[in-house]
Amino acid sequence: MNTIELKNVSVRLGEVDALREASVALDGRTIAVIGDNGSGKSTLARVVGGLVPARAGEVRVLGLDPVRQAAELRRRVAFVFSNPDAQIIMPTVAEDVAFSLRDRGMSRRERSERVAAALDRFGLTELAARSSHDLSGGQKQLLALCGALVREPELVIADEPTAFLDARNARRITAHLFDGGPHRLLLVTHDLSLARRCECAVLVAGGRVVLAGDPGLVIAAHEKSLDDHPLPPRG
Amino acid sequence: MITLYRPGDSLWHRLPTGRKAALLAALVLGISLVPVSWAWWGALIPAAVCLGCYAVPGIGVTRLLAQAWAARWIILVTLAGQLLFLGPQPAVVNTARVVAIIAVATLLALTTQVTELLDAIERGLAPLARLGVDPRRAGLLLTVTLTTLPVLARAAGHVREAQRARGARPRLRLFVVPFLVVALKHADELGEALTARGVR
Repeated sequence: MNTIELKNVSVRLGEVDALREASVALDGRTIAVIGDNGSGKSTLARVVGGLVPARAGEVRVLGLDPVRQAAELRRRVAFVFSNPDAQIIMPTVAEDVAFSLRDRGMSRRERSERVAAALDRFGLTELAARSSHDLSGGQKQLLALCGALVREPELVIADEPTAFLDARNARRITAHLFDGGPHRLLLVTHDLSLARRCECAVLVAGGRVVLAGDPGLVIAAHEKSLDDHPLPPRG
Repeated sequence: MITLYRPGDSLWHRLPTGRKAALLAALVLGISLVPVSWAWWGALIPAAVCLGCYAVPGIGVTRLLAQAWAARWIILVTLAGQLLFLGPQPAVVNTARVVAIIAVATLLALTTQVTELLDAIERGLAPLARLGVDPRRAGLLLTVTLTTLPVLARAAGHVREAQRARGARPRLRLFVVPFLVVALKHADELGEALTARGVR
């Protein structure tokens, strides 16, 4: 079973065809999605995460239909956005992490233990009682990731999770994404060095999947497209 | 972020949320029912109740003073208006009552985590499920409303900053449109985030 399968998937957002008959079958523990701004990378991630329904075509994620089996998908798939502000729901750090476990049918004690362990793993224990929206950008993104991983998902979809972070925080987030558990990872990124670390990569352009497979080959194709179509000269 | 909660181990912290909310609601109701005709007792009784609530170990009267300071403009406006129209005694009695009610009600937020409050709301509304009310959704609605207010306040600050940076003079019309756009965008992102975190 492939981790992700898309067959002729089309998505229209407003007046824009964000994905056009995209087809790809992806397997591997870590998958990178690369491409220019507006190419359809984030839409692809949202379709996989069940946040945007496909207008046409077939989507399978861990063997599930993200629309018809949404509840099961939510249990097994977590999403991390580039802007953590919108992802933080509860007023304090510990409560926000605990919020992710509300639908798990756990006792309060079990929930507290899981939250404490997760906070410890992410180095957030000392901030447990702090107001979540008063954290720094890096701490907020750590909290968002902690809130996602505490659910112990099988697949984590991360949409440019290091976009607003400095190098130190980006490195911490990356370490948790790549080595923070047994989960599989779908990483939307502009950072080609991160894409290179993945087992598999996908190049998206103009709403279509242009190439998928070995990261070295996919990145080379992307870099070639950058060389072939550089920015127009100034003046 | 609106998080008045202060961790602690006081009597109020230890009380189960439902019972605490009911007790505080009863006190608030009691204070508001003290007749104005009781003259200065009408001010002394609310003040005594309020002091009694805050004087428990782990909370302290300092916290009460901080709450009163935070509500200073409400106190001033209430006092000034009543002094003007009703005279000194009713003004002091009514203002004492308002301050005591605010301070006693605030104890719930000071000593209860939002998660506990959310659990209590869900439990409290559970009987209404038969009438079609979704307790989880209602509790979450309240929580998200509370937590979104400061995010929007911050967004308003960013809009004003951006306008100043571009040399625009402060005008309501120039503020409202971009602020609405930012607020709607946040609502969209929040909806996605809630879905992503398993809220259906």
